[in-house]
Amino acid sequence: MKLLTHNLLSSHVRGVGPRGFPLRLQATEVRINPVEFNPDFVARMIPKVEWAALLEAADTVPKEPIEGYEHDEKFLRKMHHVLLEVDVLEGTLQCPESGRLFPISRGIPNMLLSDEETET
Amino acid sequence: MDHEAAQLEKQHVHDVYEGTAPYFNDLQSKAWPRVRQFLQEQKPGSLIADIGCGTGKYLKVNSQVYTLGCDYCRPLVEIARSRGCEVMVCDNLHLPFRDQGFDAIISIGVIHHFSTKQRRIRAIKEMARVLVPGGQLMIYVWAMEQKNRHFEKQDVLVPWNRALCSQLFSDSSQPGRKQQCGHPERSHPYHPPCSVCSCSVCFKEQGHSKRSHSMDYEPMMARACCANISEEGEEENGFYNTFGKSFRSWFFSRSLDESTLRKQAERVRPLKTTEAWANSTISIQPSRHSSLDLDRQEPLSTRQQTSDEDVFVETSQKQLEWLRAPATKKHLRGGQQREVRRNGDGNFLESTNTNANRVNAGDVEEGDPSSKILRRISAVDSTDSNPDATISVEEQQPNVLDSRALMRYYHVFREGELYGLLKENVSELHVLSSGNDHGNWCIIAEKKDNCD
Repeated sequence: MKLLTHNLLSSHVRGVGPRGFPLRLQATEVRINPVEFNPDFVARMIPKVEWAALLEAADTVPKEPIEGYEHDEKFLRKMHHVLLEVDVLEGTLQCPESGRLFPISRGIPNMLLSDEETET
Repeated sequence: MDHEAAQLEKQHVHDVYEGTAPYFNDLQSKAWPRVRQFLQEQKPGSLIADIGCGTGKYLKVNSQVYTLGCDYCRPLVEIARSRGCEVMVCDNLHLPFRDQGFDAIISIGVIHHFSTKQRRIRAIKEMARVLVPGGQLMIYVWAMEQKNRHFEKQDVLVPWNRALCSQLFSDSSQPGRKQQCGHPERSHPYHPPCSVCSCSVCFKEQGHSKRSHSMDYEPMMARACCANISEEGEEENGFYNTFGKSFRSWFFSRSLDESTLRKQAERVRPLKTTEAWANSTISIQPSRHSSLDLDRQEPLSTRQQTSDEDVFVETSQKQLEWLRAPATKKHLRGGQQREVRRNGDGNFLESTNTNANRVNAGDVEEGDPSSKILRRISAVDSTDSNPDATISVEEQQPNVLDSRALMRYYHVFREGELYGLLKENVSELHVLSSGNDHGNWCIIAEKKDNCD
């Protein structure tokens, strides 16, 4: 699971609503997966990222996108690495509101809930 | 009713895909051109979700966008992952995404697996929720109106003709389905009974296999070879006629939705098992032809040139426009996607299936559902309003993954139904275009601004 993916994930346990985001990431096994650097792609992603969530997940990230980031290759490369190359193979994602844990195994998050957890 | 719906889907969607996923590791089916085009038209840097991604065939179509795949079926997700895709396991009805995260979403051959209208609406609303305003959603569902196939009802169980030969020759299947059961591809669509293959109950499937689902299993059986079944080669209804009227009495007009309404009206206790319910309200497709699912396959050069391929070729000229007319006529001849139960599963078939050697070792379906079904027919006929009478006959069969009993539930859509569904129930979406593509009703809708 990449950190860009994590940035989109939210808990859908019944009743938590928007407080289910972001999920708290605990990684027990991480791999670095080289991905071809595409500055344009990364630059376009930046505005879509929920920055606070990214900061929580990757503390090496700057507090916010720097001014003129679109042309700052160093910044873009760093973001490229964090968003696309870090791959969580094993770990958990925890709902900040309910505490419910979603497992990540073999790189795949399992976001299925039981009937009781989702019943409306 | 939602519980029954979930049960039905578990048995006739999820369990089937889970059980069959391992056999299709090698298949790389092609993406639908129109879907490819939709993906390629997305702006670079877009965030895209493929909800119901299966083995991930659409996840790498556009390298300039970030595409996340998700599916309920873990084995399929694992396959996609092994191909390097970013995927997860989740439920379309409860998408684990924050609101308005995605620039575009595709749902290809997915929501027709939901067994009630409400669930289908919920699935669409969930996808709309996670779309940014102005973002687009593309939905493909199997159409009821098919040129070379007749759906008795809208709610159907479609047999999945896994090539039994795949058990014998599982390592010899080549990409593109050129050889199934170790037989050379023939140019004639009709295969005479096969003397080479020892599997006597191979399913034979002509032409392209199409499934309007994101994963395409059909390639595996497209060229199932054996045809020792006496009906093989008969006119299309040969198989169907074998069972005669008693079989047809299975075919009820009620979908789960209607059935529930009726039950409520009559204050009958809800069905306990999905199996019984399914048999009383859902049509089981005899599937005279190969199912006209989305053709994910490239036309093979050695294949009989069917009009499917013609359509496919034609489509390339029309890629920029929806096909307004129903799917162009296809010459799928003799597509004999047999009803799985004919394999000597039970009493039904003894008389007609003289060579019922089972290729798949040890998969006698527990409890012999066929005979149970026979018993159930009379019960259901007379007491449809009392489903309980039908249930006691059997418990859920654990071994429902017998390859010959794999039936997938579909709600096939009538023309205009998908459009109506969105228009009337999902006000946050605005339909941009709709049409028919290879036997599927398709829609592209846009998330309106100023909602949610």
